[in-house]
Amino acid sequence: MSAFAYFLMAAVAILGVCLLLSRRAGRRDFDREAYGTGQETFLLFGRDSVDSELSARIFDPEDLDFVAIETSRRNARQFRQERTALALDWLRAVRGQVNQSIRAHVRDARENAGLKPSDEIRLGFEFLLFQLSSGILYLVIWVCGPPRAAKLLGYSLKLAAQLRNVTEDVLPAGRYVGVELMDNKQEPRS
Amino acid sequence: MHEELKHEGVEAARRDLADRTLAKIRGDLARLIYLASMRDYNTGEYHHEGLACMFTESVAGKAIASCHRDVFKRLLLCSVKELVEQLELYARTNCSSSSELAHVWAKLQPYRVTVPLECSPLASRFFVSNIKAALAILESRQLGAHREPQSALPGP
Repeated sequence: MSAFAYFLMAAVAILGVCLLLSRRAGRRDFDREAYGTGQETFLLFGRDSVDSELSARIFDPEDLDFVAIETSRRNARQFRQERTALALDWLRAVRGQVNQSIRAHVRDARENAGLKPSDEIRLGFEFLLFQLSSGILYLVIWVCGPPRAAKLLGYSLKLAAQLRNVTEDVLPAGRYVGVELMDNKQEPRS
Repeated sequence: MHEELKHEGVEAARRDLADRTLAKIRGDLARLIYLASMRDYNTGEYHHEGLACMFTESVAGKAIASCHRDVFKRLLLCSVKELVEQLELYARTNCSSSSELAHVWAKLQPYRVTVPLECSPLASRFFVSNIKAALAILESRQLGAHREPQSALPGP
């Protein structure tokens, strides 16, 4: 079999896993009892910079390294598992908010006659890219832990920010659901 | 107008609480414990008689809640290393030893009731996880400190 066929098979496998994880994450969006409503899960005290700082802290390797040096293997492993679970929940919350904003956009778009098809296509494409990158991010966090996923995280958040900007541009007065995102200054140290 | 006055009142109460009381408490962890201790477990409202006399019950409650959130935010965003230092400072000023604090806190988990009401479950879990790790480190350090003098003793 040629190298291209292997590459194609790998790409299909990754896409399949991403889709599976994305559906799993989507189902969890409705688990209000365990994770709260979309905003309340993600936000700390309303929309402020603390939320982005908190996300940066979740993905920061500093604590994991410190705990690994200072305490027993069992404690370090437990701490790593907790951080991974937190990072995955954080990602679910971000995805939940993006999905919510897209749903709100679709609702508003139905009533808006002045929409540009090019903008809608752009939005759809960026949403697809976000789903794909966040699916891969979910996989990387799950397998390698939050610090290794920090670089990819920046890319996913940039896409989410673009999505937010596009929904704002397309429907300036739209009722988008705000997603608190990291700006460049607050990207996690990798 | 009324809202503006109320906001000013809360700000003044906040400053009063910060300058007169919180400034005298050493370390953010001790401040957090103090502020959380003024909260009614059933209603989630804060009570401080002195502050309520100077201002009003409602303004005092809002000022304490605001200080509680600020202190919690600072601790939430600090590293585990800084949390260990905070715990050591808290133990030095409040308990007999760090090992005693680590042992009792690991069992009773009093840090869970220090989380502000408005805090998200994610942030709350992050805080609890960090405190647990900091306590484990404190305990490890104490165990190491106990072993060192023993190993320094001459053999039989």
